[in-house]
Amino acid sequence: MLSIPDTYPIDLAPFKSDLKMPYTLTPGRAAGVFLAEIGRRRIVGSRFRKSGTVVVPAQDFCPLSGDADFEFVQAPETGVLHGFTETDAGLIGLIRIDGSDIDFPHRMLDAAYGDLAVGMRVRVAWAEGVEQSILAIAGFRPAANAPVGRVVPLTDPAKPVEVVPYQLTLHYEHAFGPYYGRLFDEIKTNRRIMGVRSPGGEGAMIPPREICDITHKPTGTWVELGQTGTVRAMSIIYLEFIGQKQPPPYIYAEIMLDGASTRLIHNIAGLDMSKAKELVKPGTRVRAVWRETRTGSLDDISHFEVIEGE
Amino acid sequence: MTTHVGIVGVGQTHHARRRTDVSQAGLVREAVDRALNDAKLTIDDIDSIVVATGPVLFAAVNQPEKWVVDAIGGSLKPVVRVTSGGGTGLVGALAAYYQIAGGLADRVLVVGYDKLSEGALQYSISTLYDPFWGREFAVGIMGFSAAYWRARMDLLGHTEEAAAMVAVKNRRNAMANPYAHVKKEVTVEEVLKSKPLAWPIKVLDVPPISDGAAAIVLSSERMAAKSTDRPAWIRGMGYFCEADNAPSRSMLLSEPLAIAARRIYRAAGITNPRRQFDVVEVQEPYTCFELSYYESLGLCAPGQAAALISSGATQLDGDIPVNPSGGCAGANPIGAAGLVRVIEAAAQVMGKAAGNQIRGAKLALAQSGGGWANLRGIAVLSA
Repeated sequence: MLSIPDTYPIDLAPFKSDLKMPYTLTPGRAAGVFLAEIGRRRIVGSRFRKSGTVVVPAQDFCPLSGDADFEFVQAPETGVLHGFTETDAGLIGLIRIDGSDIDFPHRMLDAAYGDLAVGMRVRVAWAEGVEQSILAIAGFRPAANAPVGRVVPLTDPAKPVEVVPYQLTLHYEHAFGPYYGRLFDEIKTNRRIMGVRSPGGEGAMIPPREICDITHKPTGTWVELGQTGTVRAMSIIYLEFIGQKQPPPYIYAEIMLDGASTRLIHNIAGLDMSKAKELVKPGTRVRAVWRETRTGSLDDISHFEVIEGE
Repeated sequence: MTTHVGIVGVGQTHHARRRTDVSQAGLVREAVDRALNDAKLTIDDIDSIVVATGPVLFAAVNQPEKWVVDAIGGSLKPVVRVTSGGGTGLVGALAAYYQIAGGLADRVLVVGYDKLSEGALQYSISTLYDPFWGREFAVGIMGFSAAYWRARMDLLGHTEEAAAMVAVKNRRNAMANPYAHVKKEVTVEEVLKSKPLAWPIKVLDVPPISDGAAAIVLSSERMAAKSTDRPAWIRGMGYFCEADNAPSRSMLLSEPLAIAARRIYRAAGITNPRRQFDVVEVQEPYTCFELSYYESLGLCAPGQAAALISSGATQLDGDIPVNPSGGCAGANPIGAAGLVRVIEAAAQVMGKAAGNQIRGAKLALAQSGGGWANLRGIAVLSA
């Protein structure tokens, strides 16, 4: 058998990972009323009683003092441009609604960058059919002659919107680096699970790494680990949750591969799940079962199966 | 250490499965108002603020301290955010403790919170796994925790029955806690028969998912008298970590917690924790953790946790009551949970526990932790 060469870096394209997280956000009372009223084409602000500070869009707490004692006001549809920038998504302006003491960002419409000037008068452009969103305002248009509006007490406020559905989609590209690069390249091309020898010489670490976590000494040469191992710990997953990769029930397992000093997390399958508690325990011997497909990830191992009679 | 530090005011929200009437900022405000009121102070008296929250993926707001600072009234004051998963609340208190003990501030406000109803909890927690190495198999920390509980059963005798007794005790204690939102007594049999989520963890081994906030005011000795004549003095506080996948790691007990106990006990003069502490508050993400903590905290020898819970020693009327508040079983707003443990322990030695006051409690232990097993800390508080 050929000896395994010492460490060498393997460049792999970054590992792409997407997180798609659903949310149900709670705007709270002030923003909740703002969102409820915006569909009725009323712009709501809060006026803090102690200082008289007016905040549009409405907020629960005064940004100057933290004061929470406020009354709702209806703000006019006009204001002043206090700053602007051009982005890929168009012109973004910092708008101060007449009567408000703070600026907020929104789109500038029907204008070119060169048309904009700090201090310019602007007026709301309403979007059609949008409710419960700041985008019920499509943006603001230049309105040179718009008279200065005033805030007035809000009559008959709507009930606050309590829940706003939201989604965060995050794209990541994780660099493999030379150690993970070699590990996953070996998994993909040679179906070998490679670790690096611990500086003390006892067992190999997977995933392989440059420095030992305990001794902080450089790790040693690469070694191929067994494709068999011993279950260290296991649980049987019945829980369903968002982002889950497989339907329950299934077995979550932490496995010490033969020759390894660190653990590998994977699933154990290929058995009668109704007897899982008896068939899989700490100490149970298992073997890796490879998939046909080669992606260069831990998922190339379909699962671990129990080795009968060991 | 040159300056003694005391907890002079505490406050928490009435925790709930879902608060639709307040935003995260509103939740923070409620706890802050209660803590300041309890300390007879206003935000103007506060030198520095620590905001403690769980991972931002819990609630989709990055740098939330920037948002909630208005709700705290902390504009133009020193504000930092700290985070450490489940240990966030204790770490927030620790960050405040360092500031006062180091002589850099006299009064520091700490507020911890999470609004867990807003996001996908297990999915968010699964992102603490290495994206290359294990994340695709992660089940929050539940799959992991259940797996090592299963391993502890064989070696340390942490049986399902013993863990069920923890559930029975904590849920009963939560009945008297006005801030808890799960108030339902259960029996050992009901716990054992409850639906498995990540066997051996069953639904009644698991705390609720909560919206909630908690706040404390820490003060130097010099300034404490304005707030109270009975502060909860911090005799020691620390937080320790271990590598994530280091070689030959047993995972059967939390080494960082054992180290924290050893170091902080020495600093606080604790030689016999079971005899010296009057009351203990631990953050038990699942019932099996409380058993493990008994051993790591030195309340009993390794392998004796099941015997300790069975003996009744950790019940309200036992010699070492653990979680008279009900612990996480009553409410579990993760970013606040560690701070709630500190609050409950402090309230005991201040003689003003809202629920089950342990009579004459003079010395209390609070424990909290984050990550899965690799971040753990404690605080020792005295009258």
